[in-house]
Amino acid sequence: MTYAMTDSAVPKSRTKKQSLLKQIMTMPAGAILLVFATLQIVCIAGALAYPDDFRYLSPQNLTILMKAIPVLGCLALGAGILMIAGEFDLSIGSVYTLTAVLMASLVDGGMSAFIAAPLGILLGVMIGLLNGTITLRFGLPSFIVTLGGLLFWRGAVLLYNGAVQVRFDPEPAFSSLFAGTLLGINAAFIWIVLFVVGFYLLLHRHKFGNHVFATGGNPAAATAIGINTDRVKLIAFAIAGGMAAVAGIIATARVGSVQPGQGAGLELQAIAACVIGGLSLRGGRGSIIGIFLGVMLIHTITDVLLLLRAPGFYLDMFIATLIVVAAAFNHLIERRGAA
Amino acid sequence: MSAPNLLELHNISKSFGALTALRDLSFHIGTSEVVGLLGDNGAGKSTTVNLISGIYKPTSGYLSVDGQKTLFTCRLDSADAGIETIYQNTALVDSLSITRNIFMGRERTDAFGFLKQAEMRDIAMEVLERAVHISGIDSPDKLVGDLSGGQKQAVAIARAVFFKRRVLLLDEPTSALSVRETEALLAQVLKLKAEGVSSVLVTHNLYHAYQVCDRFVIMSHGTKVFDVNKADTSISQLTEYVVLT
Repeated sequence: MTYAMTDSAVPKSRTKKQSLLKQIMTMPAGAILLVFATLQIVCIAGALAYPDDFRYLSPQNLTILMKAIPVLGCLALGAGILMIAGEFDLSIGSVYTLTAVLMASLVDGGMSAFIAAPLGILLGVMIGLLNGTITLRFGLPSFIVTLGGLLFWRGAVLLYNGAVQVRFDPEPAFSSLFAGTLLGINAAFIWIVLFVVGFYLLLHRHKFGNHVFATGGNPAAATAIGINTDRVKLIAFAIAGGMAAVAGIIATARVGSVQPGQGAGLELQAIAACVIGGLSLRGGRGSIIGIFLGVMLIHTITDVLLLLRAPGFYLDMFIATLIVVAAAFNHLIERRGAA
Repeated sequence: MSAPNLLELHNISKSFGALTALRDLSFHIGTSEVVGLLGDNGAGKSTTVNLISGIYKPTSGYLSVDGQKTLFTCRLDSADAGIETIYQNTALVDSLSITRNIFMGRERTDAFGFLKQAEMRDIAMEVLERAVHISGIDSPDKLVGDLSGGQKQAVAIARAVFFKRRVLLLDEPTSALSVRETEALLAQVLKLKAEGVSSVLVTHNLYHAYQVCDRFVIMSHGTKVFDVNKADTSISQLTEYVVLT
């Protein structure tokens, strides 16, 4: 340890010696990790103590959890990378439905699901690029542009398909790829784990991720250093749209049909998961593991409240409280960081 | 002077629509020279900085580097010519670590674009220890948002030093600094000069400029009104030029 700090007037580093707890709290996803771990310990202890009344660890319940998490997970990963780049996409819920309806109706018309699904993803990517182009070209807040997208594509679903559900009946290979099981683990859950690993590598280990953080954290600095921030944002928009389509595919493969109204509100849940996971609404801050923990936390709480047979409104109230508390906490951390 | 100047501006004009920000501006920066670019608000200093760093293109006129006529079309062009700009609000990202800031936009990666994190960290550590003696930075993993104004400037300078810059453009570098940090920064400028790195100190603090600059270029209303060596002037004369022109 031979740092060039022999000056006796050196101010002491403020973050040098900290307790383990404090260190965890200052990690990007540290707080959410603590909350999540605590909740898990309580749930598992409860399930072991009252196995008949609180069936948290029953195979059925675990399967439900593993099936539920990937859909919101995919949406939140895409929305999250875009939020870190400093933009929002409120249209992902509608895009999720639109691409699923497109895929299901194409398969209904005789196309192979292995062709229809990539077409759905392509449509999602194109809509993301459109959102990004309008936002960046005219210098508009993406919040407004994608609010327009939310309503427009929701209407487009009804125009294209009407308000009836579409059956999705793909070849068995496709079903087992997205809705089957491997070694007792739900295929969709394996997909989301793969996506989390992939997004982690992209955001935290790849050059592109560094540019995403720079673009969201300080656009002027990123531009000054030679990063093409518009290009970074456009790619992030495309990822958000594409992941909305992936979520649609996973959900449709699981249920075997698409309801035209099914995506409503999911965009807000995805953003909620990101905020709970420690992402800043102003961009530049966050982590993939935080997003994933945010998604898992929302679903764990939903699940626990269902197991306790609590009325549905408790769920909304609980998630709402969690979002606001998480946002307030993140804001405190940001202020500390900016001090 | 026998050798060509490091950087020369030749009759540069820059208009934004009807607004003329720079008119027929010419000056040069020599090797191992600290130039003070002075002038009141609105004199065109920041436009000049953005022009030299390649963010603006001149409406007319041209630049030359080592006597070679050139045009910077983007930020990377000026970086290639060895020019690093250190901005008023240092061009750093608070939510990223020091290492990531130093390599921002110029990451060390493998063939697939994945970051060589250990290598970058080691380099950042070494640059912080050896090149820039600013106190209180003990780890390149620290978030830049946790640093003081002076430490942030130090990181920006470390970035310039590592990428072997020949000219530092310091745009109002002392405006956000404490007295002690300002002294450290000015000392750093002189140290770099001894190592052959030129600096342009853009400021309206004449006292800071007078402390370290070899030559002063005073701008007013978008053009140069005075160009003088330190030996041939005094701080009161400089003040007069800044205030009265």
